[in-house]
Amino acid sequence: MSLAALQQEFMGHVLDEERPLPRHWDARMGEGLAIYRNAYRTRLIDALRETSPKTALWVGDEAFAQAAAHRLILHPPQGWTLDLIGEGFVETLEELFAADPDVADLAWLEWAMHLAFTAPDCPPMDAAGFAEATSDFGEEDWATMRLAFMPSLHVRAVSRDCGALWRALEREEPPANAPLPESPMHCIVWREGLEPVFAQVPARDGNHLAAMRAGSSFGEICAALAEELPADQAAAEAGAMLGDWIGRGIVQGVSSGLPVAG
Amino acid sequence: MSGIPSFHGFGLGLRRPHYSAFMAGDVPVDFIEIISENYMVDGGRPLAVLDAVRERYPVAMHGVSLSVGSAQGVDWDYLARLKALAERIEPLWMSDHLCWTRTSAHNSHDLLPLPYTAEALDVVCANLARAQDALGRELLLENPSSYCSFPDDEMAEWEFLSEVCRRTGCHLLLDVNNVYVSARNHGFAADDFLAGIPMERVRQIHLAGHTPGAILIDTHDREVCDDVWALYAEAIAMTGPVATMIERDDAIPPLPVLLAELDVARDIAAQTERRAA
Repeated sequence: MSLAALQQEFMGHVLDEERPLPRHWDARMGEGLAIYRNAYRTRLIDALRETSPKTALWVGDEAFAQAAAHRLILHPPQGWTLDLIGEGFVETLEELFAADPDVADLAWLEWAMHLAFTAPDCPPMDAAGFAEATSDFGEEDWATMRLAFMPSLHVRAVSRDCGALWRALEREEPPANAPLPESPMHCIVWREGLEPVFAQVPARDGNHLAAMRAGSSFGEICAALAEELPADQAAAEAGAMLGDWIGRGIVQGVSSGLPVAG
Repeated sequence: MSGIPSFHGFGLGLRRPHYSAFMAGDVPVDFIEIISENYMVDGGRPLAVLDAVRERYPVAMHGVSLSVGSAQGVDWDYLARLKALAERIEPLWMSDHLCWTRTSAHNSHDLLPLPYTAEALDVVCANLARAQDALGRELLLENPSSYCSFPDDEMAEWEFLSEVCRRTGCHLLLDVNNVYVSARNHGFAADDFLAGIPMERVRQIHLAGHTPGAILIDTHDREVCDDVWALYAEAIAMTGPVATMIERDDAIPPLPVLLAELDVARDIAAQTERRAA
């Protein structure tokens, strides 16, 4: 057997305990393979649990282990880093817990916090920096202004009050049901210094933040607000949102003009 | 290609529960070993911690994902990130394991055993040579613990390792616990292993605990056992002074417990040196 064929065969046994042993691999080989298989499963399920401890607490350890095993069977890891083992796990939980959207919301929040933890280092733009950068902006510059956001920023519409659920699970006091927010919310995650943090914002703010993060201009956001609110309120709301983003430290830079093609 | 600096002393692994003590620089060790992959990230606390620790201690980089035995060859993206980390912290040296971790489709995140065949030897030597060229330095290769051996084997593990050293110029990270575990699991004499490898190539020694049973398992979750201490004494009598560290990855105790265990290594090394003088 070539080395490539042997490694394919061996990996097949690590992933699948039902796979029959090749004729020339004896029972002793089978015992050794079982150790590797068990270590593989334990290590990867533990790694998922480490990135999603509150989700594990929320759904219960057994249900979490089943979900993690389901994920690993359908999507065995490919990359070299165990740090990204949770990539796609939120989608798995969305399928498995379709009737309980709070599970995927919570898992998303933990995954976003995990990613923010090791996101690239860069200083946020503060209010003074923003004022300086926009000091010579004319009307056209404001309309075409685009923001670069911190690489640690993640945004998602959530169906439950993730903040309340997070805090309850932090105290290890899971509530009977996931608390509903008073109004539709988005959850945003970023990093302050070395600490990942999150906040819940009204859905309208979250939608506009997501749009600007995806490349919309400030003018487009103002136009969208003007369709929802009276003109003076829309302008005030746009300014307030901008101030909120800068105040939170999620803006990294600012530019104006049409986006550069390519 | 840069060589390995002459260095010996006693060290510990950088693990999360002990971050603050190592950052303060008040842990009496001569060097720190990191798991390279834990710091091959874009930014944030892990790199901030590592930078602070590096200001206070020499650091050895120990990897688990090189997969030097993969028939598919080396992962160039992985090597590029590994090199970037090395350039950032200027390690004493870099090491990984004589094993494979991945096929073209999947990554096991485990140190899987190689068949000791001429074909595997060619693959390991070619991959290691490419990795050493890419990193611009000689690497240390560690003997792993293993739980099965292949009917295809054409040579002993120590013969395989010796030939890899001869062909690639690499050095060795001798894991004494792994020698003990594999010897027990495969029925060879640990002394044969020690006598069979080029001891002058050993630049670092690992010591760790294992879980006993019908098949011993290298769990790094308990103290070094007496048999492994005895084997360590034999090994350093052959190597002379060499960098030694205790590896603990699970059930990590408070630092004083690990430092006391490291003192045992220091005592054994001192006794061995006195006997040799």
